[in-house]
Amino acid sequence: MAFTNEQLERYSRHILLKEVGAKGQKKLLNGKVLIIGAGGLGAPIALYLAAAGVGAIGIADLDTVDLSNLQRQVIHTTADIGKAKVQSAKETMQAINPDVQVNTYQIYVNAASIMDLIQDYDFIIDGTDNFAAKFLINDACVLQKKPFSHAGILRFGGQLMTYVPGEGPCYRCVFREPPPPDAIPTCRQAGVVGAMGGVIGSLQAMEAIKFLIGKGDLLTGKLLTYDALTMEFRRIKLPGRKDCAVCGEHPSITEPFDYEVPACDLKAEGESHENSPEL
Amino acid sequence: MDIKIDENLDITDVVCPVTFVKTKVALDELDDGQILAVRLNDGEPVQNVPRSVKEEGHQILKLLHNDDGTYTLLVKKVDDE
Amino acid sequence: MTIIVAGDKKEYAEGTTLAALIEKENIDSPQYVTVSLNDDFVESGAFADTVLKDGDNIEFLYFMGGGA
Repeated sequence: MAFTNEQLERYSRHILLKEVGAKGQKKLLNGKVLIIGAGGLGAPIALYLAAAGVGAIGIADLDTVDLSNLQRQVIHTTADIGKAKVQSAKETMQAINPDVQVNTYQIYVNAASIMDLIQDYDFIIDGTDNFAAKFLINDACVLQKKPFSHAGILRFGGQLMTYVPGEGPCYRCVFREPPPPDAIPTCRQAGVVGAMGGVIGSLQAMEAIKFLIGKGDLLTGKLLTYDALTMEFRRIKLPGRKDCAVCGEHPSITEPFDYEVPACDLKAEGESHENSPEL
Repeated sequence: MDIKIDENLDITDVVCPVTFVKTKVALDELDDGQILAVRLNDGEPVQNVPRSVKEEGHQILKLLHNDDGTYTLLVKKVDDE
Repeated sequence: MTIIVAGDKKEYAEGTTLAALIEKENIDSPQYVTVSLNDDFVESGAFADTVLKDGDNIEFLYFMGGGA
């Protein structure tokens, strides 16, 4: 595949980099990344990956755009209110970069759908907002040996880690089970600064890009935490867990399953919620 | 000295940074030791492109002044990977 | 003795247990916090019996479930 003059100009700032170059840009153009959740994290991820020329980007979310999303979900505009988030995201991504193929999945990602969904992608990104989805994505990716980026954001904080099969612990090694429903606050109850999605989502996009071009060190075996109030980043080493229920030596989890989503995290009247079941 | 040119590239129709981007992409396609001949304009391209090529670790063999006011830069690809 | 708590060097009395440290450090909802000591996770049931020693490196890993 030869670059067109337009592509050379569009991707010039990548191609100029020694670590990317023409080869790396081709890897990006041939790369396939799935983003689960088109919300606070998913929005910047989708924008940067589309701009970077990642060839095929899947985006999964059941919801429609709501006014309360616009404080942080920068891929959607006021005119998109009521539109399916995946459609709104696709339109913005293709307006930025027509090179990119955007696959939309307006579905609730659950145990029944996730294995087929992730199958065709090189790298998966968790941009969901509830523990049930985060554990489901972890388990499915471990079972299918897919690398993925996990992240969570809340108030003025955020954290992320990257799983690569055989290269470090999974999310379940660190947090064995979801906390009981409503034990830990979510953004919906506790709030979040919109820019937090930008900070952490951009870091997730960076992990996907590094994975695709095969350069640099990923956050495997590390949890990167960010506190916006103290402006402190910390990279915490994560031990593995030999008895992990999904990636350990004798796994008890051999297929994905659904946890119950806490009642207060379910879609409320007139509100929208990433990846929540339809009620 | 007789230099065997493996690939030719004309960057007189583009401006910075596409001048160097095209040169870099053309070099990426070559094997270690192959020679690229780049036709480039006077001014900014002739000042910057040879320097950037050198910074990438490739070897500049010659910079020839052509009759039409353009230059031809002969670069030997150095693949250190 | 000097121990490293979430990246910061701190002085604690000899014999301090992990349970006592968690109380002193005002860790919120400790039952939902994953604790790593040097290069291993410590189960919550073992906090009271885990006696810290000089140079130990303790990290607290918190659930963060938001993203939308």
